[in-house]
Amino acid sequence: MKKHLFVLLLLLHAALLASAQQRAIQGVVRSTEKNEVLPGVTVVVKGTTIGATTNSEGMFTMTIPAGDATLRFSYIGFVSKDVPIGNKTKIDVELSPDSKALDDVVVIGYQPVQRRDVTGAVSSVSAQQIKDIPVNSAAEALNGRLAGVQVTASEGQPGSDVRVRVRGGGSITQDNSPLYVVDGVQVENALSVLSPQDIQSVDVLKDASATAIYGARGANGVVIITTKNGREGKTVVSYNGFAGFRHITKTLDVLKTSDYLDYAYERSAIAGADALTSFKNRFGTRNYTSDTLALQRTAPFIDWQDKVFGRDAFQQTHNLSISGGGKGTTYSLSLTHNDEDGIQIQSGYTRNLVNFRFDSKASDKFRYGFNTRFLDQAITGSGTSSQGTSSTTNTRLRNTIVYLPFASLLPGSVDPTNLNVDDDFFAASGSLSNPVLTIQNEYRKDKRRLFNLSANASYNFTKNLAFRSTVGFDNTNNRTDTFNGQFSPTIKGGNYSGLPFLGITTSQQVTFNNSNVLTYSFKKGKHSVDALLGHEIYQQRATSLNVQSYYLPLQITADRAFDNINQRDPAAPATQQPAPTTGVPSDYRLLSGFARATYSYEDKYLFTGTVRGDGSSKFKGKNKVGYFPAASFAWRISQEDFMKSISNTVSDMKLRLSYGLAGNNRIGDFLYDPLFTTGGNIQYAVNHTIVPGSAALTLANPNLKWETTVSRNLGLDISLFNNRVQFTADAYYNKTRDLLLNLAIPSTSGYATQLVNIGATSNKGLELQASGTIIQGKDFTWTSNANISFNRNKVESLGPLSELPLQYSGWASTAIAADYYVAVGKPVGLMYGYVTDGWYTADDFEGYINGKWKLKEGIASDKGVTGYSSTEVNPGTIKLKDVNGDGVVNEQDRTVIGNANPKFSGGLNQQFNYKNFDASIFLNFVYGNDVYNANKIELTSFLANSQLSNGIAIMKDRYRTIDENGAIITDLETSRRLNPNAKIWSPARQLFPHSWAIEDGSFLRVNNITVGYTVPKTITQRVKLSQARFYVTLNNLYTFTKYSGFDPEVNTRRSTPLTPGVDYAAYPRSKAYLFGMNLSF
Amino acid sequence: MKRIFRPTFVAVAIACSLGVSSCKDYLDVKPTAVDTPETIFSNVSGATSAIIGAYDPLSGDAGYGNRLSSYYPFDSDEMQSSQGGDDAGAGRRGIARYASVPTNAEVLSPWNLLYQGIERSNICIKYVPEMAQYNSGSDMAAVRRIHGEALTLRAQYYFELVRNWGDVPEPRTPSVTGQDFNLPRTDRDVIFDHLLEDLALAQTLVPWRSEVASDERITKGAVKALRARIAMYRGGYSLRQNGQVSRPSNYKDFYTIARNECSDLMANRGQHTLNASYEETFRSINELRTEAAHEIMFQVGMGGASSASDSKLGYYNGPRITASPKYGQSSGAVTVLPTYFYAFDSLDTRRDVTIAPYTIGSTDNQALTTLISAYDGKFRRDWRVPLISAVSVQSLNYNWPLIRFADVLLMFAEAQNDIAGPNVAYNGVTATQALLEVRVRGFKGNTKAAGTPPTDQAGFFNAIVNERFVEFGGEGIRKYDLIRWNLLGTKLAETKATLRAWIADQTASSPYAKIPLVMYYTVVNGQIKYSRSLYRPAPATKPTGTTNVNWRSSITEVRIADIASGYTTNRQLLPIPASAITTNPNLVQNPGY
Repeated sequence: MKKHLFVLLLLLHAALLASAQQRAIQGVVRSTEKNEVLPGVTVVVKGTTIGATTNSEGMFTMTIPAGDATLRFSYIGFVSKDVPIGNKTKIDVELSPDSKALDDVVVIGYQPVQRRDVTGAVSSVSAQQIKDIPVNSAAEALNGRLAGVQVTASEGQPGSDVRVRVRGGGSITQDNSPLYVVDGVQVENALSVLSPQDIQSVDVLKDASATAIYGARGANGVVIITTKNGREGKTVVSYNGFAGFRHITKTLDVLKTSDYLDYAYERSAIAGADALTSFKNRFGTRNYTSDTLALQRTAPFIDWQDKVFGRDAFQQTHNLSISGGGKGTTYSLSLTHNDEDGIQIQSGYTRNLVNFRFDSKASDKFRYGFNTRFLDQAITGSGTSSQGTSSTTNTRLRNTIVYLPFASLLPGSVDPTNLNVDDDFFAASGSLSNPVLTIQNEYRKDKRRLFNLSANASYNFTKNLAFRSTVGFDNTNNRTDTFNGQFSPTIKGGNYSGLPFLGITTSQQVTFNNSNVLTYSFKKGKHSVDALLGHEIYQQRATSLNVQSYYLPLQITADRAFDNINQRDPAAPATQQPAPTTGVPSDYRLLSGFARATYSYEDKYLFTGTVRGDGSSKFKGKNKVGYFPAASFAWRISQEDFMKSISNTVSDMKLRLSYGLAGNNRIGDFLYDPLFTTGGNIQYAVNHTIVPGSAALTLANPNLKWETTVSRNLGLDISLFNNRVQFTADAYYNKTRDLLLNLAIPSTSGYATQLVNIGATSNKGLELQASGTIIQGKDFTWTSNANISFNRNKVESLGPLSELPLQYSGWASTAIAADYYVAVGKPVGLMYGYVTDGWYTADDFEGYINGKWKLKEGIASDKGVTGYSSTEVNPGTIKLKDVNGDGVVNEQDRTVIGNANPKFSGGLNQQFNYKNFDASIFLNFVYGNDVYNANKIELTSFLANSQLSNGIAIMKDRYRTIDENGAIITDLETSRRLNPNAKIWSPARQLFPHSWAIEDGSFLRVNNITVGYTVPKTITQRVKLSQARFYVTLNNLYTFTKYSGFDPEVNTRRSTPLTPGVDYAAYPRSKAYLFGMNLSF
Repeated sequence: MKRIFRPTFVAVAIACSLGVSSCKDYLDVKPTAVDTPETIFSNVSGATSAIIGAYDPLSGDAGYGNRLSSYYPFDSDEMQSSQGGDDAGAGRRGIARYASVPTNAEVLSPWNLLYQGIERSNICIKYVPEMAQYNSGSDMAAVRRIHGEALTLRAQYYFELVRNWGDVPEPRTPSVTGQDFNLPRTDRDVIFDHLLEDLALAQTLVPWRSEVASDERITKGAVKALRARIAMYRGGYSLRQNGQVSRPSNYKDFYTIARNECSDLMANRGQHTLNASYEETFRSINELRTEAAHEIMFQVGMGGASSASDSKLGYYNGPRITASPKYGQSSGAVTVLPTYFYAFDSLDTRRDVTIAPYTIGSTDNQALTTLISAYDGKFRRDWRVPLISAVSVQSLNYNWPLIRFADVLLMFAEAQNDIAGPNVAYNGVTATQALLEVRVRGFKGNTKAAGTPPTDQAGFFNAIVNERFVEFGGEGIRKYDLIRWNLLGTKLAETKATLRAWIADQTASSPYAKIPLVMYYTVVNGQIKYSRSLYRPAPATKPTGTTNVNWRSSITEVRIADIASGYTTNRQLLPIPASAITTNPNLVQNPGY
């Protein structure tokens, strides 16, 4: 019935139009610059809905009512222009490009608004700014460009995790990732499923006044991404492509052959007779001064880092898009193909992405559109730190750095470059294996397929009242294949019986999202009101299946193993195969209602109020529903009369003030019920066969609720000189309360901890952004864009506790003590350990008495920490500070030794245009953070059975504990005589965090330099091209830093937010040399 | 046009209906990957998996797989764990030397694990009787058995807590959010009285061994034997919170309970009895099979080769094996005191089962150890069937026997002697008869060599003390026996005095000259063979073709001083873990810490 009525209305409307008197008008629209015609310009008769768009020649024709009229010409990127037409029937118009970014449209939650009307804190990046960054990761493209948004790539592997934090992140136990909304639909991890070439704009909502509309999902900020769409008029076919090479930026120097042999000998001598025998077995002698050893000292050095990471990794990206539209309809189809080799051999990344967007105006009142995306990607090769978040104990970076650095010249010895397995070396080097062979035998492939569909429809009931509905559906399938072949060191341990094994993990995540929004706008005189009322549902369910197959035929290849996982080696033990496991990692629903009202008076005082109610399946009873209100106020000072006199200088000035609440619901499901789980270690052997049991592993807490962030923001936007220079400053104070913490409870309850809502953290900060056109000449323009952010994080409360139990980053599994400290009044991310104080020298000892070194009276011994528990430290042992002065160095002497939080960070982008040349240079920087260089601790230590592993180059200048003849030094004189210039201690016998490995992580990175040339129109037109640009880019060209590791921008221990800034076995970063082109037809 | 509008209206319709009627249902997501208590306890298989979950903490490193079986019961007058210092009170040496600090991780992890077991048992004890199947239907027996098992498991967990820590908090219902978790300590007598009641109920719920499939799950024999054991401890001495060692005045009441339970068991020999051979019982453990007599009445099942559900028995303890191509590797961390070696009569077959005085190296052959370094022998890697040669394998699937039938006989003898004397029959059996049954089996039926025990109560008690000494070596029983007899300090001092006397005079006229200073041996078929008697002075010259090893002369003052070096009476209990006190202000530390 309704439908019929509607159709009737439409007919009526058409009839009314037809009855009026009319006349025709036509014309051409051009750009003031370069005199190009502009297709797709919207032409409307002001005050009516009558309109047209220009065609591919920039021409429009339309029929307008009789009488005087004014036409409004509007076009994205250009200043709109009103032209009174009088009696003319033909009119040519020139539009000038818009430098007023303040007139941009910003999407702030279910509704686009003019940037000038925004009352919250929003940072934005447009396609224009990222077009010069030919990268494959959208996250990488945003790095350093948004004030208050920290983007950290965890390591250098193609496709590796990227951590995005808006204003620090309030939760200390839960995920601090922002919410992503792509074209109005919530999409998990959107940055990894979008190609940067498809992005039109990114708006990041930072304060609660903007994010409260997203309620329980808004506390970590909301990243709103709009994808590119076509324009009415001419069909544009564009091709963007680039290709080039990547090369490792930095390697670590290791000991060369002769120094290595000294080092290996010294450690063997320390370890005792068995180790020296092992040294002899390998190098033919235990005589330090023998000719046999002297001969081998001359063997050529093998640079394993070069063999593993040294290649020029080729990469290519092709993006083809077709966009355009007819009257009322626009579309854009984009196809992207990436192919990227990792710098590590046998690693790489391929991705195919299809993005199609379609929007149509069925009538003046009804619009609809849809957007579909298909992604198929594969990441191959084992990273050095394993994929995901936790263990790096199976790291292969260590292999590469400290593997046997030469081929022995002795007859019959193993040549490591021949890819032989070397079990002796494995046993005597802390399980090192040939890095090349290992990589060849450890197959990893991480495949992801994603299908995403969203559709929207809107209907304008009246000029003021509109309805919009958006539906999103997302299906992501992952499959991770791992295979360890016959030469993989992994199969030597565990229960693999020395035979290859494989694992296949598949997972599927399905999300559904629907929002329905009514908007109403009303304007009368000086008053203007906008209201929005909506509701939304969101549901997500993820399932996984994990299958493992052990005891595969010894020499099987990965492909053959995956295609028939039932094969068994004849030597397979009778042991059962591990059972397949499934899991439901997430299964939740969210039902919400929200409303927003904005009121402005004289366009001068702007007020916005928002409230959202969220019901979530993650909570129980009265905690199921949470309310998140927010309010903000803006004062456009520039509209005041007293500012009019300087309006030529200050074109716009706005003061913003906001306060609001937002929640974080990125927490586990079903935490409120006591739940019996099976698997894991809940099992008991009956007749020696494991019987799975079930038990509640955690004490459920039915009182759990959201973590809530209270955010306060004070902002100032200024634009000067007719919007040529813009400046934004924001100060904020966010406090997150009801933190979810695993609080220790008496274990007599049967549980060690319980998840409860206690405690609070705060983030205070200041963000400054400036952008402007410094020079705007006829041939030369120079625009600049800069941002800087300061954030101070603090733990405000931990409930009844003053500090949490020390946290384990666990980079060396259980071999390293707890190394992070969380306490009230301190920021999260404090590194905790011993203070390095050089080493014990001969002067610290009374002498070598009764077969033992004896320290002088009053000199504290750190033997318990450094691994000399049964004897005493000796000259050369690393010395740790006796912080509490009790005469012994032990656990009580640990203290805070580092802080992973930067003092400030930011970016600086410069873009130049000179005639047909363009250039840009982008720098980003972080200052004042510490990096925990765990590699350095490991590579200067000597753990049990690792006497033959190599060390890093600084160990050449270690304090010697053997004399010229290779005998262990047992007198002060010799020790003194041989070590006048020692620069570092003798390798430590244990792993422990100490301040020497905590380094300043400040850096200034020349992130990107691009030089481009646009071929003049006169030439391109001959080959039917509308545009052709060629460019050369250098990515990650150079990093100014004092950090001694591979790269200071690193974060390898990501399982909790409490252990940031650990550099352990990260995949090294690379620089890229790229050549690319942008062509449009 | 129609096609365009339909989605809009559908969306609106969905929105309206969701908003109004089904809001609650929409947000009610049921966990399907995990179970609520209601789902778990709705059928037998769910309840069975819950009871398996309650069994789980028995096994694994922190449970009887290692800590509770190989750290806690030492040092005693029979064996020593991880000789050489006390590691400043940390780790296993801290425990063995009675020097443990409250922050000792090895004190904390079993404490946590035992309470985890109690919680899981409590959950079963609460929910199982509420099941419909508990009172009727074909699953009734199975469900009731689960209840009985849960009661017994909880009793075992509490028993272990009380004998190591004394008075402890005693939650008897599942933990719920909002309750006060800061429980004070409950008097050990109160806890034990609860356990005796629980086990009286449990034995009515579980079947006899022969009525169900043969496995390590709890049957009536286990319940009764555990009840007898707890009754003996309830009637025995213990260190109280006031720092005094005392026993209850009505201790005979509890001995009576123990005697009666044992008597019941002794009347049901079809269920459990002694194996004819002492060795068979332990061979069966090492060969991963069941012994015919079902002498082991209650044991912890081990398997799965993980630190959570297997044991390190035979790897952590037993003869030390280094890089043997045939047998793999083991640590030999538990060593036998020389006095214990000579506590066995030369004809007692139990010595060579209990003590393994050899190591195995890369030749796969045995080599004799010194007298001071002999290893415990009931769990030996070289006895395993099938052998495991991989040095990386540390879990041998060896079960831990909690109670053997020999214990039932000796508890009967001890209780009956105390109640009525050695030669008064109860249900037709005297204390002497019960003791002799165990002893004669140890002497392989040689009644003459086994002799007869004293006929007076005090003398007979001493015979019991000695018989339990030689019968249960290395089974985690001796230390706790000595504590409940209030003899631990005495026996440790006695042992040290004896050892000192042995080395004080190494001449031929020494009163201990019969214990050879040096032993000579040969290797036959890979096994050690003593070349001269263990009970005569060594010859002055080495017999040809033999290898010599220091025997009595291997004992040193350092090693003697090391035995239980930190022992004082008020160290009979372990410290309450530091973190337990930090989280619960109502917990008071044990005396002596």
